[in-house]
Amino acid sequence: MKKNNKKLKILIAVFITVNLFTQSCSEEFLDIDANQITANSITEEQAVELVNGIYNIFLSWQVSSFSWNGITSIASDDADKGSDPGDTGSDKHLLDALNHDATSISVAEVWEGHFNGIQRANQAINRIQPFEDLDNELKTRLLGEAKFLRALLYFRLLQTFGELPLITDTPDINSPLEELLSRATIDETFLFIESDLIEAIESLPNKSLYPNIELGRATKGAAKTLLAKVSMYQEKWDNVLALTNEVIESGEYSLTANYEDIWKEIGENNEESIFEIQAKGAIPSVGVDKYSLTQGARGEGGWGWGFNVPSAELLNSYEENDLRRDATIIFRGETLYDGRYVPESVVNEMYNQKAYSSAFTEFEQTGKNIRILRYAEVLLMNAEAAIHLGGDVSGPINQIRSRAGLNQLNNPTQLDVWNERRWELAFEHDRYFDLVRQGRAATVLQSLGKPFVIGKHELFPIPQQQIDLSNGILTQNPGW
Amino acid sequence: MNGRLKLIFFLFFTFSFNSIAQNLYSGTVIDENSEPIFGASIIVKKNSNFVQTDIDGNFLVEAEINDILLISYSGFKNLELQLSNDYELNNIILKEDIKLLDEVIVIGYGNQRKEILTSSVSSVKGDDLTNEPVLNVTQALQGKAAGVQIISSDAPGVASQVIIRGLGTIQAGREPLYVVDGILTNNINNINTADIETISILKDAASLAIYGNRGANGVIIVNTKKGGEEEIKVSYDNFIGIRDINYRPVMANSNSFVTYSNEAILFNLLNDSNPNNDNDLSAFFPSNQLYNTNWLNEISQLAFQSNHNISASGGNENLKTFFSVGLNQEEGILKGSELERATLRSNLNYKISEKIKYSHNISFQLANSQPKSFGVFTTAYKQAPIVPVRDENGRYGSSVAFNNVGNPVAQLDLQNEKQRFLKLQGAFKIDYEIIDNLNFTSRFSVETNHNRFYNFDNRLETYLSLEPGNTIDNFQPTDPEAEQIPETVLYVAHSNDYRWFFDNYVSYKKTINDSHNVDITLGLVAEENKYETLYGSRINVPADENLNFNLDLGNNNDGTEGSGGGFSETRKLYSYISRLNYDFDKKYLFNISFRQDASNFFQEKYRYGNFYALSAGWYLSKENFMDESIFDILKARISYGKLGNAQIPSLNIVRYNQGFSYPFGTNQDVQQGGTVTATVQEDLSWESTYEFNFGIEFALLDYKLNGEIDIYERINSNAILPLQLPNTFGFDPFLSHVGEIKNVGVELSLDWNESINDDLSYSINTNLSYNKNELSKISNQFFTNQTGGNINNGQYTKRVSIGQPLGSFYLYEIAGIDDRGEFVYKDLNNDGEINENDRRFFGSYIPSLVSSFNLKVFYKNFDVNIATYGSFGNKVYNGKKAQRFGNENIEQFVFNNRWTSGRPSTNTPVASNNVPLSSNYFLESGDYFRINNFTIGYTFEREKSKLFNNTRLYFTAKNPLILKRFSGYTPELPGDPMGLAGIELDAYPTLSSYYLGINMSF
Repeated sequence: MKKNNKKLKILIAVFITVNLFTQSCSEEFLDIDANQITANSITEEQAVELVNGIYNIFLSWQVSSFSWNGITSIASDDADKGSDPGDTGSDKHLLDALNHDATSISVAEVWEGHFNGIQRANQAINRIQPFEDLDNELKTRLLGEAKFLRALLYFRLLQTFGELPLITDTPDINSPLEELLSRATIDETFLFIESDLIEAIESLPNKSLYPNIELGRATKGAAKTLLAKVSMYQEKWDNVLALTNEVIESGEYSLTANYEDIWKEIGENNEESIFEIQAKGAIPSVGVDKYSLTQGARGEGGWGWGFNVPSAELLNSYEENDLRRDATIIFRGETLYDGRYVPESVVNEMYNQKAYSSAFTEFEQTGKNIRILRYAEVLLMNAEAAIHLGGDVSGPINQIRSRAGLNQLNNPTQLDVWNERRWELAFEHDRYFDLVRQGRAATVLQSLGKPFVIGKHELFPIPQQQIDLSNGILTQNPGW
Repeated sequence: MNGRLKLIFFLFFTFSFNSIAQNLYSGTVIDENSEPIFGASIIVKKNSNFVQTDIDGNFLVEAEINDILLISYSGFKNLELQLSNDYELNNIILKEDIKLLDEVIVIGYGNQRKEILTSSVSSVKGDDLTNEPVLNVTQALQGKAAGVQIISSDAPGVASQVIIRGLGTIQAGREPLYVVDGILTNNINNINTADIETISILKDAASLAIYGNRGANGVIIVNTKKGGEEEIKVSYDNFIGIRDINYRPVMANSNSFVTYSNEAILFNLLNDSNPNNDNDLSAFFPSNQLYNTNWLNEISQLAFQSNHNISASGGNENLKTFFSVGLNQEEGILKGSELERATLRSNLNYKISEKIKYSHNISFQLANSQPKSFGVFTTAYKQAPIVPVRDENGRYGSSVAFNNVGNPVAQLDLQNEKQRFLKLQGAFKIDYEIIDNLNFTSRFSVETNHNRFYNFDNRLETYLSLEPGNTIDNFQPTDPEAEQIPETVLYVAHSNDYRWFFDNYVSYKKTINDSHNVDITLGLVAEENKYETLYGSRINVPADENLNFNLDLGNNNDGTEGSGGGFSETRKLYSYISRLNYDFDKKYLFNISFRQDASNFFQEKYRYGNFYALSAGWYLSKENFMDESIFDILKARISYGKLGNAQIPSLNIVRYNQGFSYPFGTNQDVQQGGTVTATVQEDLSWESTYEFNFGIEFALLDYKLNGEIDIYERINSNAILPLQLPNTFGFDPFLSHVGEIKNVGVELSLDWNESINDDLSYSINTNLSYNKNELSKISNQFFTNQTGGNINNGQYTKRVSIGQPLGSFYLYEIAGIDDRGEFVYKDLNNDGEINENDRRFFGSYIPSLVSSFNLKVFYKNFDVNIATYGSFGNKVYNGKKAQRFGNENIEQFVFNNRWTSGRPSTNTPVASNNVPLSSNYFLESGDYFRINNFTIGYTFEREKSKLFNNTRLYFTAKNPLILKRFSGYTPELPGDPMGLAGIELDAYPTLSSYYLGINMSF
């Protein structure tokens, strides 16, 4: 018995030793797989990349390409669907005829793409904000960029859909849908965008303070210009005037001498550029998905799908000798600035020259930068505010007119300013929203035979699938 | 012979020599597991001299030549033997009397006598698998155990799908865990069946909880043979066989095809929106066709297979060895497909001292295969008979002019692939008896798999085979600036996995006051699994047959980012195991088991999991009040516990994704961009299954009838399902624990064993399993009914919905045929149009009833074995028939029964080239019943002598007869529940096989 006890003791000792050994190793043994990153880990590189990732959403098909053109141009009086009559572009024929509805793919894509970008902005803001070790200057700038981009995405959604659910964080999927998806009022939505922009203005440097390698990032000037635009949509004319004056007086920007040069490769990020989507034409290219391709001339000798073509109405609206007409429109049979001949065999009479890329023309991603905000629009907003507040209208307007090769106006009216805006900014994704903002969408579009319904077509319908997924918490816009 | 060889020889073959006294005979009595039997009685019949064996099974008895000894021990069959000069008394083997239900069952980390078992475990003896030709162990298990559904595949080297007690998950792993000699592994595909001693199938929580988060799908434990204590025994087993497709659908011939297709073309012309083409004859087929190809015959062959196995076992009291070599060669039914396999095993048990035992089990498995795509079966079904295998110029026949089906023979010829598998397993174990009743076991085991895959894609040859007009000259694009197309692409992939296990446990067995029996096991187990893959490709590798898949022969990578890459992952698990058995007088039985798993592959918060089970049994027939009952044995048992399934598809890790780059700066330098796209909740971990089981074991009629009944309920309480968030959140769909999956079932297993006389005995065994499966709960607002079963023509067939079984078909319902011969679908929601909302559920591909019936007869030297298997209550979808685009071939009965204006049909629509909607027209009953195995054998017996020799010859037919309702190649359609499971598309047909075999021992 004694012997057995001894052995038992030995056993217990061995067992405990083995146990302790493995136990003490176990924490190390179970070290987390290197393939995983934990929720809160972030590096300086990642902080920059998270913000770059927001910019990247503007290269997507959904945010900047086919559907966005459908809503902002084809639905308006500036453009027609184009292409072959039988090629509908899914729903572009419906947008052209204002017969679209909540199941149209264009509204679904615009909704999806922009909210995806907002999610990227939220990820960046919520991960960079608590990152204490990040250099303060960089952190401030990155947060400013993220907020500018979130504001831009929200503003474009507001232009399209009106009131929006305001999402600033990763949703808890177990929260009630009401909390997650209810739409804020229009005032709350504007306020949300404005507060992002005010923070961006405080945080961002001027364009001239960025090193060359960072050209293309959001600037103080861009944030002020966008805030001016957001203010204009609320008719806060004092703000519009003050902000545009600040941009004008900053000395950061001026008009490009030759209007047509703005959309050439040499015009990218030039003195007039306030904010534009950067695209690199190369192999492999990093550009906006099929932006140039969908709008390229179609048919033999062409290079694209032929959608979003200038309307006859736009063509005829220009004043005689307006240089902007030929800079905006590619005509069948024309030889372009780069020597390319557009043969008579292409199927449509006109195409959008602002989407034309001289290099990598037939590629899905060309190097075409999309101009979002430029100095000319600052002058136009400044003039429009002056109309309401009684300031200098002719000054800014005539700067633009003289570049376009037109005579000076002594006393421009509101309609003059609006027309100037149309010609200057055609195909720059504002026409439909401008008509609604100016309160004359019904008149203008109905006169072209489009079935614009007052109280309905001011906004686009919320995608039906999103309403269904929200169990109806997300409400539809009036009339749809 | 050098020293090392001598040592190996010593380890594998060890002989024992014994001397026999003149009048005092000594011997040893052991059981079938070579364990000595203590207390066995030896009676000399002549004078009733009586002795008993000692603790080591040894005895000494006084007797004379030609005396008859009667050897007996409770629980074992009596044995009589006559003393002769040369008779071996060492290692007298007593066979266990299975009537008494005291079989030893292999369970997790130990053994247990069936008598006191409180859990549901099915046991299969290795002998049941080696008396017939078996290539794949899992396939051989079909019908051998209740509650185990096996969807077998006759393709070379393809494992059967094993589902124990119903499908409990949809996103996580569905296969059971395999444990081979203590090594946890995920398949037993290449194991040599002849090496198997026993297989235990653990089915309920009481037996599975000791495997923790690996236990939810059941566990199959395979123990391989060990050497006995007798002199060396060598066995040789061999079989050869041929295999052929069991059922070939009758396809339309060229005449029927032309008639049907022309009708279809005309139908489509008349019914399209363009009235101008109604008289367009250009697409019609001429009626005088040159060829009438039977494609299924062209792609298939009578497949030959052969198998050799040699094993040697033997040893003495201290050292027992088992050694085997297996060689197997198998042709596939598709021309050119084949599999070769070699296995090698060395098992050794060494008694180092009275207290310490050492054992190891080492095996080596090697397989080479040349696979062919099962898609060829679909192509052969669809390709038109008017297309020749090769045309008059020797070029492959082509149908690009009228349909998009390839030339099946060309597909087979041009598929140049090889797979090589190497598996090494080794388990090294030490048992140390520290004091009486207390045993310490330490086992270290390793498994490593090296898999290699080669694919040689000859794009030029493929291009040339597509249509006769293609030539080498027009292979490259005409534009000189355009990128050149590679003529060949060689792809090579290697994957390795390596795992080790270190198991340490103590067990303590004690009987107190003759009636309280306690058995405790406590231990620590740790394991590490490493997976690695590496792959690469090169273009323009010369198409020389001897190139031996050498990447360096290529001149370039293929220009894509995917031209090389790899992956590596390490998974570790560290666990405590414990089990307590207690019984009072073997009458009242209790068992508790518990395992805590800590794993590195879950999120930190979910790293520790606790799994447990409680069970109890009552041996009613041992009660006095049962003395008069009809039951020889009656035992009831009940168990409840929690199990896990750690084989989850992925983790919702906050994965930071790069690739969202953007150009900045005057030079537009591209900067990296990143975001987190795919996750909102980091809570993905194992699925938890709660299982309740109630079972009754019984024996009746003097132990002739034995049976077990079990009822169970298994609830996977947090099944993983995909959630689709509104786009407003800007996240990709993701997986979450939001479902509850319930399986409820009954299992019945009955055995009848009878020996009518010395010459004739027989046994009948039947297993019935009924299971009801259901997605019983959904706990999140964002679950949208997941669809699946896509048949690649834009049509899906299945949907996951609450209240329905998993794998349910969700289809349009045929209401009839209209006056143009087209299907009319039921407008189930009466909204006047036929759309998504008019689909309904038609049942699942998972059978509700699985049954088997096995008969064995032994008459003199003949043995006959008939095994049948039936599966009922499920549906299968004829995907190859439904996957139409236009101008594919049809079956002859579709042709015969088609609707025409002159002869309206009520069941088969008009000839048409429209893509058919997914409807119940293509859904058929999956019920089948078949003879799995018919074997008749004859044993040539030599006189018992020191060197005796038994030889058995047998003939086996597998699947000679299948009764089925399904019109396709096979109703056995394994696959992913939301993929092609239950859908016959690219499926391998069931084969009928005929074998001749021989078992010899020396």
